[in-house]
Amino acid sequence: MKKKVNGIALSTSEKVIEIISYIVMGLFALCAILPIMHVVSKSFSSANAVTAGAVIFWPVNIQFETMSYVLRETTFLPALKNTVIVTGLGTLISMVVTITTAYPLSKPGFKGRKVFIMLYIISMVFFGGMIPAYMVVRTLGIIDTYAALILPFFIVHFNMFVVKNYFEGLPESVEESARIDGASDLRILVSIVCPMSKPVLATVAMLYAVNYWNNYFHAMMYTNSTKMQTLQVFIYNTVNNTQTLVERLVIGNYSNVSIDGVIAAVVVLSLIPIVALYPFVQRYMIAGITIGSVKG
Amino acid sequence: MNIVASKKPSTKSLKKFGTYMKDHYLLYIMLLPGLFFLFVYKFLPLYGITIAFKDYSIFAGNNPIDAIAKSEWVGFAHFQRLFRSSAFLKVLANTLIINGYKIIFLFPIPIICAIMLNEIRHRTYKKLAQTAIYVPYFFSWVVVFGIFYSLLGTYGIINNFMASLGIERISFFSDTRVFRGLLVFTEGWKEIGWNTVIYLAAITSIDPTLYEAARVDGASKMRQIWHVTIPGLMPTIVLMLILKVGYILDTGFEQILVFYNSTVYDVADVIQTYVYRMGLGQSDFSLGTALGLFNSVVAFILIVGANAVSKKLLNRSIW
Repeated sequence: MKKKVNGIALSTSEKVIEIISYIVMGLFALCAILPIMHVVSKSFSSANAVTAGAVIFWPVNIQFETMSYVLRETTFLPALKNTVIVTGLGTLISMVVTITTAYPLSKPGFKGRKVFIMLYIISMVFFGGMIPAYMVVRTLGIIDTYAALILPFFIVHFNMFVVKNYFEGLPESVEESARIDGASDLRILVSIVCPMSKPVLATVAMLYAVNYWNNYFHAMMYTNSTKMQTLQVFIYNTVNNTQTLVERLVIGNYSNVSIDGVIAAVVVLSLIPIVALYPFVQRYMIAGITIGSVKG
Repeated sequence: MNIVASKKPSTKSLKKFGTYMKDHYLLYIMLLPGLFFLFVYKFLPLYGITIAFKDYSIFAGNNPIDAIAKSEWVGFAHFQRLFRSSAFLKVLANTLIINGYKIIFLFPIPIICAIMLNEIRHRTYKKLAQTAIYVPYFFSWVVVFGIFYSLLGTYGIINNFMASLGIERISFFSDTRVFRGLLVFTEGWKEIGWNTVIYLAAITSIDPTLYEAARVDGASKMRQIWHVTIPGLMPTIVLMLILKVGYILDTGFEQILVFYNSTVYDVADVIQTYVYRMGLGQSDFSLGTALGLFNSVVAFILIVGANAVSKKLLNRSIW
């Protein structure tokens, strides 16, 4: 909310509070941004500058060899492809399942509603555990496939409840008139309820996409071949296997590429989609908080 | 709107269940994909819990689930083994200490930030600061690890700076004295901004006439914050704290899995990382499942307890 300055002159204490706020929040903002600037700078700086520790928050002796090394000589692109597929397909599937689950459960007159909601609550508060879940995935025979990376987030309970609560708040009258015209439940959902719920659906889609994109643990647990490596696994391995990287750089004669530069470049490349979508993310995430806090 | 909504089921309820099913069979079909998921990924693993009570051999059957039925029952043998091991107390303590530190040191910061952000009247400055602070929330733990590795590595910018001042370099990622601090700090870096935005959203929903009234009564800015803003934020603060305590066993797992290494197991190994290493790393599936079950039961009690507290204090269920 915008606060209007009222006619009364600001007292000294008010000024002090405001000045402190400007300074402290400025520092917090810098704390969030400067580390990112640092890795971006490193990824575009010469190997000598990086190893000498000359790179702070701005590139020194700008070069693009590190970026081109990561794109050409590592498995970055195949890993990116895997992550894009899992995120795209996963978000689509999760949204369909979330919407089709939330809609019946949002109908006050839906017979059996309480039982189904109870099933979701029970499975939300009691978890079988990591190993039993792994055994199920292995039994299904989907280890090392995209399916294993989508299954864990097929439907996230919290997201489903947010959508359900939103649906409950929609005016009943619009649906009622469509029903009189003979529209089926599915038709009403697709052509009336969903268009009316665009903000919440965008927010939830975002939450799913971020989940899929950032997921490391399930990828590590449920995949094992290099072919199925996702972006997060690739980044983790790059940061942790510097020895292999050193050998590759020496053998390939990449004198202007440093290990730290490669690590920075990998991180920076993986952030591009998130930064590119940030304005969109920001708009809907804030809307999402408001929606989420209206009804828990 | 409410009247219409409550009328509909009452006329519907006159019809028989069969007629309802016939009219709305599509609604039941819609539920199927979600129920399929619940069955496969949430309820089938509940059967898998019996692994904790058996001498489980993954190759005893046609598949890992079938193998459960074909493995011998051993009662609580694995639990005895677990509770007698020194590792159990260590991982339990680490879980509580690390998450306890996170609550003590990080919980109040976003509340203060939100209040400060709200005091900033320059709209562009406020917007920029707000946008900047929660960028890291969208980064994965692996990326946060990569960034901090770059900053805090032995020859990273921070160590170079300290060396230039004549201070000894610190190996942040393998020094048991600083590793927990690193976990708390990076958690703060990733999450504070986002939590600030949540509190800020709660502040903007406080009735502006309350501030008006306080000003008319001559309340200073500090008093307005103390008597209007903080009470207005109280429900959100309490809810967030309840959630934090309720999920104390489950949070931080992925962060630690990414950040830790064998040199810091003593201070950083938590329940879930231990389950992972024992169960899937060393194939001691039964011990891992037993510890996982212990974790699930305690977590269940905490979360149901948290919900009861939330209902009592805030009249609101957390789900």
